[in-house]
Amino acid sequence: MTDSAAVPTTDAAPVLRPIKARRRLTFDKVSFFVVFLGLPLSIFLVFVVWPFVQAFYYSMTDWSGFTPDMAFVGLRNYRTLLHDDIFVTAFWNNILLAVVVPLVTVVLSFVLATMVTVGGTTHGAARGIRNSNFYRVISFFPYTIPAIIIGILWGQMFDPSAGLLNGVLTKVGLDQFASFPWLGDTRTAMPASMFVIIWGFVGFYMVLFVAAIKGIPSDYYDAIRLDGAGRIRTAYSITIPLIRDNIQTAYIYLGILALDAFVYMQALNPGGGPDNSTLVMPQRLLNTAFSKGQFGLASAMGVVLALATLTFAAIVFSVNWLTGGREQKVKR
Amino acid sequence: MTTEKKAVDRRSFMKGALATAAVFPLSSALAACAGNSNDSAKDTKGGGKVSESNPFGMADKSSVDAVIFDGGYGTDYVAFAAALMEKNHAGSSVKVSPTTKIAQELQPRFVGGNPPDLIDNSGENAIGFSTILDQVEDLKDVLDANTLEGTTIRDTLFGGVEEPGTYDGKLAALNYVLTVYAVWYSASLFEENSWTPPKTWDEAMALGAKAKAKNKYLFVWGKEAATYYQTLAIGSAIKEGGDEVRLALENLEADCWSHPAVQAVFTGMGEVVKAGYVKPGGAGTQFTAAQAQWSNNQDALLYPSGSWIENEMKDQTKPDFRMTGLAEMTVTADSSMPYAALHSASGEPFVIPSQGKNVAGGKELLRTMLSKEAATNFAKTKLAPTIVKGTVPADGFGSTALVSQNDLLSAAGSDVFTWKFVDLYGINADQLVIWNSFLAGKADVAALTSGLQKISDKIREDDSIKKIKVT
Repeated sequence: MTDSAAVPTTDAAPVLRPIKARRRLTFDKVSFFVVFLGLPLSIFLVFVVWPFVQAFYYSMTDWSGFTPDMAFVGLRNYRTLLHDDIFVTAFWNNILLAVVVPLVTVVLSFVLATMVTVGGTTHGAARGIRNSNFYRVISFFPYTIPAIIIGILWGQMFDPSAGLLNGVLTKVGLDQFASFPWLGDTRTAMPASMFVIIWGFVGFYMVLFVAAIKGIPSDYYDAIRLDGAGRIRTAYSITIPLIRDNIQTAYIYLGILALDAFVYMQALNPGGGPDNSTLVMPQRLLNTAFSKGQFGLASAMGVVLALATLTFAAIVFSVNWLTGGREQKVKR
Repeated sequence: MTTEKKAVDRRSFMKGALATAAVFPLSSALAACAGNSNDSAKDTKGGGKVSESNPFGMADKSSVDAVIFDGGYGTDYVAFAAALMEKNHAGSSVKVSPTTKIAQELQPRFVGGNPPDLIDNSGENAIGFSTILDQVEDLKDVLDANTLEGTTIRDTLFGGVEEPGTYDGKLAALNYVLTVYAVWYSASLFEENSWTPPKTWDEAMALGAKAKAKNKYLFVWGKEAATYYQTLAIGSAIKEGGDEVRLALENLEADCWSHPAVQAVFTGMGEVVKAGYVKPGGAGTQFTAAQAQWSNNQDALLYPSGSWIENEMKDQTKPDFRMTGLAEMTVTADSSMPYAALHSASGEPFVIPSQGKNVAGGKELLRTMLSKEAATNFAKTKLAPTIVKGTVPADGFGSTALVSQNDLLSAAGSDVFTWKFVDLYGINADQLVIWNSFLAGKADVAALTSGLQKISDKIREDDSIKKIKVT
């Protein structure tokens, strides 16, 4: 610490001086701008901003997707979507996913991360439960499997006749589960699908939180222990405020994932599930675009999906801000 | 100091990451779409000399680009014809590209004005026909041309094979493979138990009771294939009520699903479901797994499907299963059409885009596929008949299913029908949902009827969808 503190003070003076004498455009400077600013910016414009604008324009046409011609129809596609009960169902399914999946995953992985880092014995220095390294590795396993494989794997587990789940349940005497269609019953299809997504991500976010918690100086934990705080109080007063940003990031990423959820749903229930109870917007989008040949309408769905995602992120930011995220910034 | 700096970095990093992540779903979904207006008028004549062996005037030493759906039949049968064509037209070359994502792969090529010369527009990701109808060739001149053997192609084909590919009087697609829709069963199992295949829904109920006594079910279904039962129901209803049922459904008429014949079939099916003769859990079972429960475990006696079923389940069929087809049940013994009437359609629609670089070459490849040699090769290797007559010998290359397809077709004679509104308007995905509920016993006949009616009504009332009048 003392070493690094000494370096900036000696450096500060020479760095400040040339600022006054800048603004002379040398070849070095221009080429630097072109390569490090112009190039990335144009790539961003061409590959990110332009498709965005393009999709928005297509959403106001009746483009079939297979011809170069299209007619401008204004907001008609959006009106159609509003009255399309299947799309509305898919929209609410996505919202439900965005509410439940991040919440459960973040809470679960936070609890697990706490347990393997600071949730161990209350005697001596703060540390995780016994064999925590083992659990950390084990719980990361699902994340190493590609999403599509997870979907297919669990699709087999949930199989009514030959699946492992019903096999185990009937073995222990729960005969009402013989041939029970977990993914084919309106009551269980959505929870079962959510479970699969959560199963795949808990380990990853646990590792993320573990890394964040490891960054908290252990003095804090020692201090709060001396003050007599228990595990929950420690988590609430020390861990959460100090890894707040990580939780927010995790929440937003999971939300974006849940607002998409395409791979999982397509693997588990390609048809949208019983009574469309697991249908998500991207599935509907794909179907509308490629099998119904209504690219204009499909683009409108894409725009709605993007707006929903942005709204979700805005909500998460404001909740974090309102619940004290800003105070922490001021304090620092 | 160091910590403070880090915190700022992390925040700004996250903002950037968030923005990128939020943009991602939209851009990834549609980044590939480039609205390119490049409609150069193409000369449909190939530029080559028209002759006996080159009826479409394909240019000398030209290349043909064929994109073929890689499904149950694979693509080697097109490669076989391609090799034949390369032999007949020395110097020309044919590229056969297999794909399972026809629509996704070809969409940018259609927009860009450089589609392939021959497409097998089939499978789950096929392009909806109403979207490309104006951009494909009328294939009537292919049928008017001579085969490699020298007779008019039209005369060598089964009757009615043009019907499924004809839209508004234009032969937009030529369906190559003949499919028979039937209810399939194991002849050996039926003989063993001295059961008779049911010809009406009442007989099906009686058979269901016998199956139950043996701890078996009458039917089994898988979640992606619940609409196979719709195919069975529509076929059954058309046989019962005659052509007016077909026309009502095809033209999406109001209350078409409430037609007495359709209702009688639904009621018959509803009783089978209610009696518990359908293996539960189908709504959560992958369809090939469900089919194996029928062909391998023999949990169920009957399975309604197209004749591709034998090839599809080849590796998962019990030895000595002796798969045999049975025409759709009727409701009463004195139905409008005779019991032997059959739902049969040709599948694997081959289309030739008008904007292709070598339209004549595409037609020449199709002509080669329709030759006796190529068609016989298909029947032999795929155990399915093509639309070319007389390619299946009496022993069906040793396949009982192929023999029974031939029997069903000859018994039906001219009473062969099909319909296309489901594929034409791409509504199978919507209908699947209701059929899953119905077969699971969650929805009754009334709910099934209103659900299907709602789907038909929605298409009929949507002005942006081009309707094709069927007569």
